[in-house]
Amino acid sequence: MRLKRGVTIKIVTWVLCVLMLAGLYGCPGTTESGEKTGKLKVTDFRGKELVFTEPPQKVVCLIESALSGIYMLGQQNRVVGVPSSVYDQELYSYYSRLDERIKEQTLPTPGDWDFISLEQIIELEPDLVIIWASQTDAISSIEQFGIPVYAVMLHSFEDVYKEIEDFGKIMNCEERADSLIKYTAGTLENLREKYSSTQNKKSAYFMWSEGINETSGKNSTVTQLFQTAVVENACDMPSEHVTVSVEKIYDWDPDMIVMWNNKGMDPEDVLKDPLLQGLSAIQNGRVYELPEVFSCDFWTLKMQYPARLIAEWAYAEEIQSEILERELRRMYEVLYGKKLMK
Amino acid sequence: MKKGILTKLIVVLPLPILLLSLLVGASESISLAKIFSYEFWTNTSGSNLAHTILFHVRLPRILLVFITGAVLAVSGSAMQAVFRNPLVDPYILGLSSGAAFGAALAVSVLFIPVQLSAFIFGLAAVGLSYMMARKNRQISVVGLILAGVITNGIFTSLLTVVQIISNPLQLQSIVHWIMGSFHSANWDELNMVLFPVVAGGIVLYLFRWKLNVLALGDEESMSAGLNPGRIKIWILLSATLASSAVIAVSGIIGLYGLIVPHIVRMLMGVNNKTTMMINILLGGSFLVIIDNFSRSFKGFEIPVGVFTMLICAPFFIWLLKKSKIGWQQ
Amino acid sequence: MAAIVDKPAITVNRLSHSYVNGKPVLQDVSFSIPENQFTVIMGQNGSGKSTLLRMTAGILPYHFGTVKAKGSEVRELKPKERARKIGFLPQHHKPVFPFKVSEVVLTGRASYVNFTPGKKDVYEVDKALELLGISALKDRVYSDLSGGEQQLVMIARLIAQKPEVLMLDEPISHLDYNNQLRVLKMLSSLTNQNLTIVAVLHDPNMANLFGERFLFVHNRKVHEVDSAETFNHELVREVFYDDLTMFKHEGRYVFLPRVK
Repeated sequence: MRLKRGVTIKIVTWVLCVLMLAGLYGCPGTTESGEKTGKLKVTDFRGKELVFTEPPQKVVCLIESALSGIYMLGQQNRVVGVPSSVYDQELYSYYSRLDERIKEQTLPTPGDWDFISLEQIIELEPDLVIIWASQTDAISSIEQFGIPVYAVMLHSFEDVYKEIEDFGKIMNCEERADSLIKYTAGTLENLREKYSSTQNKKSAYFMWSEGINETSGKNSTVTQLFQTAVVENACDMPSEHVTVSVEKIYDWDPDMIVMWNNKGMDPEDVLKDPLLQGLSAIQNGRVYELPEVFSCDFWTLKMQYPARLIAEWAYAEEIQSEILERELRRMYEVLYGKKLMK
Repeated sequence: MKKGILTKLIVVLPLPILLLSLLVGASESISLAKIFSYEFWTNTSGSNLAHTILFHVRLPRILLVFITGAVLAVSGSAMQAVFRNPLVDPYILGLSSGAAFGAALAVSVLFIPVQLSAFIFGLAAVGLSYMMARKNRQISVVGLILAGVITNGIFTSLLTVVQIISNPLQLQSIVHWIMGSFHSANWDELNMVLFPVVAGGIVLYLFRWKLNVLALGDEESMSAGLNPGRIKIWILLSATLASSAVIAVSGIIGLYGLIVPHIVRMLMGVNNKTTMMINILLGGSFLVIIDNFSRSFKGFEIPVGVFTMLICAPFFIWLLKKSKIGWQQ
Repeated sequence: MAAIVDKPAITVNRLSHSYVNGKPVLQDVSFSIPENQFTVIMGQNGSGKSTLLRMTAGILPYHFGTVKAKGSEVRELKPKERARKIGFLPQHHKPVFPFKVSEVVLTGRASYVNFTPGKKDVYEVDKALELLGISALKDRVYSDLSGGEQQLVMIARLIAQKPEVLMLDEPISHLDYNNQLRVLKMLSSLTNQNLTIVAVLHDPNMANLFGERFLFVHNRKVHEVDSAETFNHELVREVFYDDLTMFKHEGRYVFLPRVK
């Protein structure tokens, strides 16, 4: 009995060993991507050069901001996989208007900003995967299957322009990309000019949705956004994302507080916060919350809208919401076409 | 007799579990009918999608998960015998967070091989826990657990520091390290762990009976003609080598190495000579089953470490309450 | 100083030892342990009995003096060789894992085993259990046994190890009276099996009842006493209790403390 058990154990051990070895033999050799003579050539944010002989027909894009760029370029037909956040209530209400497949919930979601389902990506047989550059493990796994990966990392408006420009190049719609960038850059420039002569420059403190202590410093897209609105970022720390103490905020004493869209808190709540009562922004009732993320994502060409809002909040005598509403509709029309306005 | 049937079941079970797991996944392009088709086996080019998914996505992942589960269970049971403490495993002792920190450090800052760095820091973590817990030449059961808590805290903090200061283009997000996951498993990762796991595994397997001797105590082992110090070092080095290798690719999989040996003990008794193989088989298969859940969700993955922690934590509390030894020593 | 013993199993010569804090425990100690006899070591707590026993058994390293087991220096023996000469039973064993009795006894075979034990080892285990009359306990879980049974199992483990000398550190101190007698009877009978027994005991009556030779550890010295007949009255009193009466009953000395 005892001996028999030993034998069974041994047999199974061997079978397992053989199975594993067999598996190793099945290992794929390194697959070289096509010849480097094609003319569609871009360098992604890792500095990796991607070459296409023809525009990719099946694109898996796991970054929502990048996806919105593809939709602006009118290239949604190439998209075969989207980030799972697209089906979240708020984004869904927009994307379902832009794409029947999303409306019918048939477009697969093989991952998000953090995790991927390698299997679902492979199954979609994409010829391009767009993914954050920080998803290093996922990138190397996908590239093992010979699938080109365009890795994205955005630190400024210029990065957003580069991303759109690259998409334009790869997807054969350079003109559209160019005109969108020009339109955006133009809007931003106009805004800057409009307020450049302002004597009494306002300072603003940016508050991320995690709470009053979470903000962005000098080298950030937030600062760039503020500069466009001719507002100074109150936070003088260098980092992109910093956690600061309330005391620090008192040191800076900003003229206004700009809140990123926040599900758990309204400007009312911030105004009532006993900790903050000594701030002039609070005393003057100058706390503003950006509207839903789809309309003012900094990592897209839509960053012109929050810039406009901030400038309005800082300098307008009276906030004219009707005009702002009209401008938002106009921006949507230019960027996405009439579809979104249905 | 009952035990005999159980043994056979556990010994035979892994094979069908592994084979059935090959059929589990988020994609729909694989069906039994397809697998039994002629084309599936003859066309090995990239155009055979089902073939690619089966052999290059699912198979390496399942094998990697199996190896990881087996290594954690075996290391856990070896450590429990060495420390004469049924409440330790690579996670409790801080080895896991040490190894994860080492791996992250190697990826982002140091220019030494990831596996080597994971091993060094895994070892440092175990050493640290041991030194902290040792008092008057004795190590109390709970003292060792507390020392592990501190070690875990230190290395998890260091890991966060590495995460903050490192270039985001180089290092995956911290969740992947703290809540282990296999979402990017491939043949390369499997190749990476193979050597340390086989090397460490062979030593542990050879010493499996000696664990029984060590489990009785130092003087008892010495009296029987062993050099417990030397054997313990061999066992700890091997267990650390194997487990830090898998942690370097999978991240921290909490408490798994603690629970499996206990389940095996409940089923099969405490004799390490026979239970080591059962630990390998059950530890491997059980994690494969858990990971099947993790990878079959559509659209998103739940890190496997989340599952193991949620399953194993209540079990750990129960063990702690039930345990006769512990608080007094 | 050492009494001459016909056939010494172990000879200790000029052994000295100090604790880590520098306090001396044993100073220039010499004695020998006769073959196939029951030698009892006695002394007050902290007198260094345990230290002496461990050093003699080769478990604790010694730096001054010599300990020879059948002519070979214990310190220089490889652990495996030493284990075949001397078996050592530490004070009360606290089990952590619920091993079966046969598994516990099998660990005594470690010095004969390369990696895993074989048939010969299993045979020796059965033989040892039989010798101690506890074959019935074979498949029981060690931690479920009574204290006396546990101690017999640990002795069986030493028997399976097949040493020439068994050294036991307080083998009966946590047992009830009945089990104390059971264990000591067993140990005493083992001297007929070509085994030398050395045990640390506390009770002078038990010692006198079973021991054939006595070593008193006192004031950093070891006093050898050949037999119960020459049990030194003064020494016993000094070691145990200062108000001790001693009287003879059926040819043996019996000790009784005077309590007022």
